[in-house]
Amino acid sequence: MIFYWVALVIYSLACGGFLYSFIFKNPRFMPKMTVLFAIGCVAHTIAIVARFNATGHLPWSGHYEYALMGGWFIVCATLWVGWRNRELQALAIATLPVVIIMLGYGYMQNPGLTPKAASLKTIWLYIHVYFAWLAFGAYTLAMAAGVLYLMKSKNSLRPVPNEVYERFPSLELLDELIFRYLVFGFITDTIMMAAGSLWAKDLWGGYWNWDPVETWSLISWVTYGLLIHLRVTFGWHEKRLAWLAIAALSTVIISFFGINLVVDTSLHVFQVR
Amino acid sequence: MMKKIIKSFSSPRFTIALICLLGGIFAIGLWVPQKDLLRDIYFEWRKNSPGLVSFLDFFQLTSIYTSWVTLTLWICFFVNLSLVLWQRIPMVKKRIELSETRIAPPETAPGYPFHATYPLPAGMDGATVLRLLAGRGYALIGNASAFYGVKNRYSPLAFALFHISFYLIMLGGLVSFYTRFTGYVDLAQGEQFNGELVQYNQYPRLPKIGSLPEASFTIKSIMPHVDHNTPTGIDVVLVDKGGNEHSVDINRPYTTGPSSFVFNHLGVAPLFVLKDATGKEIGGSYFKLDVVKGKEDTFRLRGIVFRARYYPDYTVQDGKPTTKSMEFNNPVFVVVAERDRKKIAESTITKNGSMEVAGYQLEMRDMPFWVRFYVDKQRGLPIIYAGYFIASIALIWRLIFFRREIVGAVREQEGSLFLIVAGRSEYYKNLAVEEFTKTFREVVGKRADG
Repeated sequence: MIFYWVALVIYSLACGGFLYSFIFKNPRFMPKMTVLFAIGCVAHTIAIVARFNATGHLPWSGHYEYALMGGWFIVCATLWVGWRNRELQALAIATLPVVIIMLGYGYMQNPGLTPKAASLKTIWLYIHVYFAWLAFGAYTLAMAAGVLYLMKSKNSLRPVPNEVYERFPSLELLDELIFRYLVFGFITDTIMMAAGSLWAKDLWGGYWNWDPVETWSLISWVTYGLLIHLRVTFGWHEKRLAWLAIAALSTVIISFFGINLVVDTSLHVFQVR
Repeated sequence: MMKKIIKSFSSPRFTIALICLLGGIFAIGLWVPQKDLLRDIYFEWRKNSPGLVSFLDFFQLTSIYTSWVTLTLWICFFVNLSLVLWQRIPMVKKRIELSETRIAPPETAPGYPFHATYPLPAGMDGATVLRLLAGRGYALIGNASAFYGVKNRYSPLAFALFHISFYLIMLGGLVSFYTRFTGYVDLAQGEQFNGELVQYNQYPRLPKIGSLPEASFTIKSIMPHVDHNTPTGIDVVLVDKGGNEHSVDINRPYTTGPSSFVFNHLGVAPLFVLKDATGKEIGGSYFKLDVVKGKEDTFRLRGIVFRARYYPDYTVQDGKPTTKSMEFNNPVFVVVAERDRKKIAESTITKNGSMEVAGYQLEMRDMPFWVRFYVDKQRGLPIIYAGYFIASIALIWRLIFFRREIVGAVREQEGSLFLIVAGRSEYYKNLAVEEFTKTFREVVGKRADG
């Protein structure tokens, strides 16, 4: 648990640092914050390993473990793209707050150690959840790239542009990156839904049960499919695509966390009823 | 007029509108109480807001998935899909065709954002360049003096595949709808199931086409496992009529042909026997009681109503019966006997224990479990899964293995050979520019200045 808190504190510090570098126009601060971010990721990884050691299974069940593992996927995706392209390190300014809120929310749920529920003892759990987090990570990056796009395009209209934005990729590249992350997310989302459907057949007897989480996943899938369609068919890009990538993430957040806040009849709480 | 209708039905704008409307309908389904799911809330709501509910009922928005609005939208969606697919087939064919008309001078070819010139190393001629490009996955037409190349030439076919997958999913759904049987069957340890309709709980959904699930087996044993209050598994062993044992657990149904028996619920089926004052047995049976997780259930013997509560790990706290955990460490029933709605006796009873009830004695001789299976039989699933699979393949094919097109020529300038190329790709301009640069540098042996 200590590493969980260490990671959370480091992420908060790094998030503050990224904000500082934007607001106070200090681009040199950003690589230092990326290093801090990476250190937080190491603590986060240790927290996952410790959890695995204590429970004997991968931490992929329950809200606390969702947050722990899901946050890790987003962090790794952000660091990975930042490592591949230094200009993209600034994506962390949009993804870190999401991770911090997720980790905080996870802790407020049930962080206690529990044996693995029977309903989760299947290979489909790993396939379904792994692709779900890949999709969530990619959609979060698309949102972050959308935020950067809008910030950078707004900055270019200012009489004295903030030089921090010079560190970002060009608007053209950001626009393409939004689309690339959307495509990656959509493909993994599709695999996630197919795997979930196969699992549901064995667990609940039907491949599709119109469970609230399933329905919202479908809404989310259709929304992202629509975004891709709009880009490919109608050529919607730049600001419109950026706004849509930001707004569409709300459907994923509702699927992952929102439903269980308002509905207690979802089959996705994974209790044996 | 007809042409206009077909044109509007096949327009991508119509597709987008339909997807938005379907998304909206599903969202409405989450907010409007659905008759089938929330019957009590629905009736209460109808009593309080008759006008609004009548309005929603007219559009069948309280049964959203079978509503005529939803069905109309789905029909429109598939009509739109068919028309789009039909119209795109010639376009797809044209796109995968390797035609000489695609060859264009790289310096002036329209729609090619990538342009570069590379000097060829000594000894390398145009034929070698074409061979090297072919080795990198480009399908080429023309010759060194003017050529056209395409990588992932067949990726437009994925468009058709993706649309076909929708039809498969729809067809599978239809087949499933008409052949589907669903029902629940409660079976206690030692009980036999022979597939008869009477053995199912009330109102199984009968198939419109086809027969009941053909299965016959006996439940050999039921053993639930709970660890630290978490249900970690349930071992149900059943023996089919051929004498073969099958193990059922959560996530592991018993499947025979197109039928599957999925574990759904656990209960306790105690054997209660009632004796009179002389010790003679005057009644008794195994009663399938739905008492797990603190629920109360009743059974009757000789006009006496017995209300039973089950405590898997029995203890007494503040003078009241309770359970220490959900683990089956000390299973006990607390039974209240009533006659004419008046309590006549109350006692705890364990396996092989008994209680006095108004001159009678109630014995519990056995305490096995019973399970409820969700029985499902449908024949459309393989088609639906094939649809899912094809959709995934098509998506990956179309969006990851996207097309890159090049036009080029090997020209002699001032005694040296130069490769002049132009390139373009679908979707990812920057990614393709990186790839073109890398590819051509490799082809010309990294002696590039373009």
